[in-house]
Amino acid sequence: MPSPRFPIPQGTLDMLILQILSLEPAHGYGIAQRLEQISQSVVQVNQGSLYPALHRLQQRGWLRAEWKQSETGREAKFYSLTAAGRRQLAIEKDSWARLSGAVNLIFEEGSR
Amino acid sequence: MIQLLNWFRRRALERGLNRELQYHFDRRVADLTAAGIPEPEARRRVAAELGLVRVREEVRDVWLTRWFRDFLYDLRFSARSFLRSPGFTAATLLSLALGIGATTAIYSLVDQVILHALPVREPGRLVLMNWSGSDFVTYATGSMNLMPYTICRDLQQQTRFLDGALCRAEIQVNLTAGGDPKPVAAEIVSGSYFSVLGVGPALGRVIEPADDAGYGTGPVVVLSYDFWQAQFGGAADIVGRKVLIGNHPMTVVGVAAAGFRGVDVGAVPAFWMPTSMAKYANVDEDDLLNTPVRWVQILARLRPGISVAQAQTGLQPWFKAWLQDSTLHHFPRISADHRREYLATTLELTSAPQGHSVLRYHLAQPLWLLFAATGVLLALACLNVAGLFLARGSARGREIGTRLALGASRGRIGRQLLADSLLLAVAGGVLGVVVAPLAIRGLIAFLPRDLGSNALSGALSLRLLAFAFFASVTAGLLSGLAPAVHAGGDSVVGSLRERGGTGFGGVRLRKCIVTLQVAFSLILIIGAALFLRTFTGLLAKGPGFDTSSLLSFAIAPLQNGYSEADASRLVRRLDEQVRALPVASSSAAARYAFLNGYAWSNSVTMQTDRRTVTDGTIYFNAVSPGFFSTLGIRILAGRDFNRSDIRPPGEIGPRVAIVNQAFVKRYLAGRDPLGVLIARGGASNVKPDSVIVGVVADMSYRGLRDHYEQVFFPLFEHDDTGATFYIKVRGAPEQAIPSIRRLVQQDDPRLPILWFRTLDDQVNRSLATERLLAALSSSFGALALLLSLIGLYGVMSFVVTRRTREIGIRLALGATGASAIRLVLRDAVAMIAVGMAIALPCVAALGKLVQSQLFGVTATDPATIAAAALVLGAGALVAAFIPAWRASNVTPTEALRLE
Repeated sequence: MPSPRFPIPQGTLDMLILQILSLEPAHGYGIAQRLEQISQSVVQVNQGSLYPALHRLQQRGWLRAEWKQSETGREAKFYSLTAAGRRQLAIEKDSWARLSGAVNLIFEEGSR
Repeated sequence: MIQLLNWFRRRALERGLNRELQYHFDRRVADLTAAGIPEPEARRRVAAELGLVRVREEVRDVWLTRWFRDFLYDLRFSARSFLRSPGFTAATLLSLALGIGATTAIYSLVDQVILHALPVREPGRLVLMNWSGSDFVTYATGSMNLMPYTICRDLQQQTRFLDGALCRAEIQVNLTAGGDPKPVAAEIVSGSYFSVLGVGPALGRVIEPADDAGYGTGPVVVLSYDFWQAQFGGAADIVGRKVLIGNHPMTVVGVAAAGFRGVDVGAVPAFWMPTSMAKYANVDEDDLLNTPVRWVQILARLRPGISVAQAQTGLQPWFKAWLQDSTLHHFPRISADHRREYLATTLELTSAPQGHSVLRYHLAQPLWLLFAATGVLLALACLNVAGLFLARGSARGREIGTRLALGASRGRIGRQLLADSLLLAVAGGVLGVVVAPLAIRGLIAFLPRDLGSNALSGALSLRLLAFAFFASVTAGLLSGLAPAVHAGGDSVVGSLRERGGTGFGGVRLRKCIVTLQVAFSLILIIGAALFLRTFTGLLAKGPGFDTSSLLSFAIAPLQNGYSEADASRLVRRLDEQVRALPVASSSAAARYAFLNGYAWSNSVTMQTDRRTVTDGTIYFNAVSPGFFSTLGIRILAGRDFNRSDIRPPGEIGPRVAIVNQAFVKRYLAGRDPLGVLIARGGASNVKPDSVIVGVVADMSYRGLRDHYEQVFFPLFEHDDTGATFYIKVRGAPEQAIPSIRRLVQQDDPRLPILWFRTLDDQVNRSLATERLLAALSSSFGALALLLSLIGLYGVMSFVVTRRTREIGIRLALGATGASAIRLVLRDAVAMIAVGMAIALPCVAALGKLVQSQLFGVTATDPATIAAAALVLGAGALVAAFIPAWRASNVTPTEALRLE
């Protein structure tokens, strides 16, 4: 029986982060919690691997970061999407749609 | 780039990351404790979940790639350790800066003179045409690649292989542009010139095919951008202005694109004019545009996809037909032998992205030689640095051993050492590049001024910087390789067990390095000695006459529209007036200047008891009576010319000639030369009609090296094209210049004097290449000697330090100081001997390459080689003796106390 929580597929973490941030700016911990909620604990994200990904996306110019007061009153580093990041998200969504569509097609072909 | 910036703000980044992670950590712990997990347990859970150490490393890898980060740490470490030993750093930096600076400077000239492609469209597709075959067709053209104009015109039709052909010739004309006439260099070109090269105008238009449609169709000139700037201040209304070429009016129709300076790197033209106006440039003696007279160089552009070999093969049938046709039309009375030779000649194509250049022909070999020498010098400098690194490495043996023991990989340590040498080499390279422009300007100063100043520049180009960078990195890798490999090979236990300061230090490796240094420097010293002997030999030999207080000046009246007869009369008038000047103790004139690199030449037909034609080229000149006595050339037999010998063409009466000793030796040996009849030219219709009336001692003509057969004819025979005057001056030669200038101006104010030059200066100019080679090779030789002596001294001192204990014991047991010296010197002598043994076969092999640059000495001259070996050997022994002597003074108690 497969494990109810499987590790996040390689390369999709970036896309998920972009998607979450496209709704509203968030800090690292916030993103981690959101990931947990949205994926209904199906996808397991290693909390540590979130930060290298955030810094990588920031370095590519898709995210910008600023220190702001968080809901607890402490300063936290909030990430938000840049225009380039928005474009990138669109590209990734599109290619994901095509990939999953193609995979579905293959599965349907096989089950017929 | 962003990554590199991150390195400099890595502290701020670290702080930010820590805060960010701390926030996450605290929030998570707070959430977990709120869910009822006790705080210590929560902390443990969160720490495990986050993996803080790994996260930090991974984020740092995002900031800066891992290897790059390590490399920067290595560099920082290297820089710090260099700052701690400034003496060592200065020594290595200086050796590398010298090596890289010298190599870069020479490379600049190599690049400008030899390698640099013309700034035209797709220079790679340009080819140079050459007519190759027996001496009958190639005589006297040597490096010039001279071709008939008609071939260029016909090549335009060969569209299967070529995208057009152009021809050009270098000319000297007097240009008047609203002031005094000035002698300038220019290019006379076919109408296809600019379109084939793909060069456009900066202003107005360039020369077009219509300008070159037939004789006299294009009285136009196109100025070079530089000349327009320099002479006309970049005047915007230049197009349409009239200028005088000689005394023919021409219209300026445009200015060529900036940066385009003709197709000859050594001859920068002031302007271009079409071949249709050849008469104005005084090159049109015959029907130059329709006969096979060879006076232009031809470049063509290959069609895309056609190779040089394909075009050459493809063009031969057409060329054969051209040859056939030209024998019929132009040489109907050619002998059968000559006809066969003529028809066997071929058209040769060579790739010519750099255009055509006589300067390149003369300088290419010396420059490559010097470039090779600087390469060796740079290698020597690298070896020196490698030696110094090994020495330093041995001092660091314990540090490296410790690092190995703590788990550093050998690769990592080797990389650290490579970072050391790369950092040094690049720093040395930067220093070298800083001094390179000075060095380049110094080099250009060695060349004749009129040439060097306008054709070559001392500026640093991007190519040059790229070269210097490449040289630095190569030097860094080379000098760091040995220590790096060596560091990887030491045993950890061994280096830790050793006592401080007595590490193994790669003595064997260092000895190999010093041996190689000895070999390299011996090669350079022998080269220096050879070029010095060539230069001093030529200076000592001299031109064959006394140059002191001799002044010369030249005029070219034909370029100002004189007829040959008028020019003859002018020269004769000036000759008499100059002679009458109080400052002149004697004076004479010659049609062509001596020691200028050029000569009037042809074969000679002689009539003794039978008719013979010389098998070699004979050099001619026409001189005035008194020429030989003015230059102090001895008349060995017969007499000088006198006034009654001068006989314009058509005048009945005896004609006379004077030959030199070399001519008599080669062609008239064993007979009385006086009274023999000779004439210029070797064709069957030449009639020997000049009587040899005198024999003179040999003198140099084109340059100091030549000692050719020469024949002199009287000047003023109404066929003179110009003249160079030679004046023996009382007092300083320069003082005579104003009065001579006045004389010429009184006669014709529009006639410029081409140059004033003392003969001492002329001799110096003609030895420019030899001086360049001698001066540079001796400085390289001296540097090489210095570098190898330092290397030898270093390794010997090290050996002595290591063996102090052993020597002390030997001395304590009764050995003498002398035997201690012998013990140490034996090592040094072995290195020197092996180094020399390596060098000598190399010298023998390289000798063939330099032989053509030498004079009066062969490349394997035993005396020169022995002298060079002696200098190196003596220096090396002194360098080795100092540490040896120190060894002999060791007192046994001291040596044992070192323990």
